[in-house]
Amino acid sequence: MEKMVRKASDNKYLHKDFHVGLNFGIGYIAKLHGDTAVVDYLREYAGVFHKPLKDAVMEYGLAALEDYFRKLYETEEAAADITFERSEDELRIFIKKCPAITHIRKSGNEIAPMFIETTRTVNEEIVQGTPYAFELITFDIDTGKSEQRFYRREAAK
Amino acid sequence: MISCTEFIPAYSELFKYLEKKGGKAAVAKYWDRISQEGLDNLHAEVSQNGLRGCWNYWSHALNEEAADFTQTLDEEKGEFAITMHHCPSKGRLLEETHLEPYEDYCLHCPALYKGLIESYGLKYEMDLSGTDKAACAVIISDPKIKG
Repeated sequence: MEKMVRKASDNKYLHKDFHVGLNFGIGYIAKLHGDTAVVDYLREYAGVFHKPLKDAVMEYGLAALEDYFRKLYETEEAAADITFERSEDELRIFIKKCPAITHIRKSGNEIAPMFIETTRTVNEEIVQGTPYAFELITFDIDTGKSEQRFYRREAAK
Repeated sequence: MISCTEFIPAYSELFKYLEKKGGKAAVAKYWDRISQEGLDNLHAEVSQNGLRGCWNYWSHALNEEAADFTQTLDEEKGEFAITMHHCPSKGRLLEETHLEPYEDYCLHCPALYKGLIESYGLKYEMDLSGTDKAACAVIISDPKIKG
């Protein structure tokens, strides 16, 4: 008999196939309920899940967002693929390639057309109700290369 | 991007969203679709390697998910078993105080795997009695060997 015993601390929590699972779910909702349903779902998800981050944005401003995304890419072992430019009123984020899209493609799957909303809608929702707004400036669906910005709403006028 | 480390809350919220749209039947339909079209690796492993394929599949997945588990494969007895001491997915949902897990979250496992596994002539049994503590157990057996 073969036996494998593992503690949680034996491994790093990084199951990249979950990216494939999310892509599957986004494609499923879009096909069954339409594109607006994907946006509705992601708004609901982000509104609930990112409440602590939204609170941090209210307290610490754009620094909280930079800190969150820096750690996110470190976790995904893609720290070299993200850079930041931050001023008092704006945080620009430059993504060389998206770890999610990279893995989904590597697994032989097509990217769901609405997958872009896992960036746009989620980031919009994170700053909903804060002094900041989000803009997805560019996004390449083949690689996830993108330029994004969070900015103080009144500073855009 | 939603990190793969943030997928589980997104998954749980997706179940809630689907239930709001179409009741529990809509959630079951989604799980059925994943089982049929979203688990190519498991289909390939079980169809080619039977119980050994189950060992291969869950060895990969549970290690990447940093689960706290024991799994055994007894090919003479015709049995593969997982004892999940602490499920990282349900555990995460229980730990996050600002999240309310989908009430039937743990049912997605048998929904995804039982039909798939049994379509290859194996038997899938799951004990969900410990899910309030993120614990569960699965036994997959080969009736041709186990009798």
